[in-house]
Amino acid sequence: MLVITRKRGEAIVVGDGVEIRVLRVGRDGVRLGITAPAHVTVHRQEVYEAVRAANASAAGTSPDSAARIIARFRRASEPAGQ
Amino acid sequence: MDASIDTRFGTFAVTPSDIVEMVQPIAGFETCRRYVLLAAPVFEPFSCLQGLDEPRPSFLAVPPQLIAPQYATALDPSARTQIDQRDDDALLWLALVRIDEDRAFANLRAPVVINPRRMLGLQVLSADERDAIDHPLPLD
Repeated sequence: MLVITRKRGEAIVVGDGVEIRVLRVGRDGVRLGITAPAHVTVHRQEVYEAVRAANASAAGTSPDSAARIIARFRRASEPAGQ
Repeated sequence: MDASIDTRFGTFAVTPSDIVEMVQPIAGFETCRRYVLLAAPVFEPFSCLQGLDEPRPSFLAVPPQLIAPQYATALDPSARTQIDQRDDDALLWLALVRIDEDRAFANLRAPVVINPRRMLGLQVLSADERDAIDHPLPLD
């Protein structure tokens, strides 16, 4: 891991066109400003990991469980009395 | 060239014009960039987003607006650029569904958005942090 010390207002540049700047340093957190090209996506790590885990779980759906859930969803969506 | 693909949900005919290219991979499925959206009466109102590249993931998907009527479908400029959305392009929004035993959840936080005109897709993060990754589906 590359370790760099930065002060408030200083930045690092990653690859071609990604800039990460230290905007504020507090006791429990650092506020960062990120500038990146449109094709580069930037996520908080914990959100990305949660989405990845949900995707992995969703990709393993079996036809049987899908059919069951679809039928139950349809019944729950029917207007009352039908 | 027409071809049929075998999925765990059955065999479907697909043509090259049916193929959606993910401009960024669906998180966790970096090797799969090509998908087809399978629609069939047995799936209604769901559909199946089927990967064509290994490991060929099969996602059950549902329009997020069906689960959350107030769901805000607004894309940030970066996402719009990536799927080449022009002003009159109507986009297709899909929440991926995860089944956990007798419950099911739609991922409203990270929907897949497809621009049908260009057949380009992208999994985005919704701007509203209250949109849940595990939004319970109403089931009887």
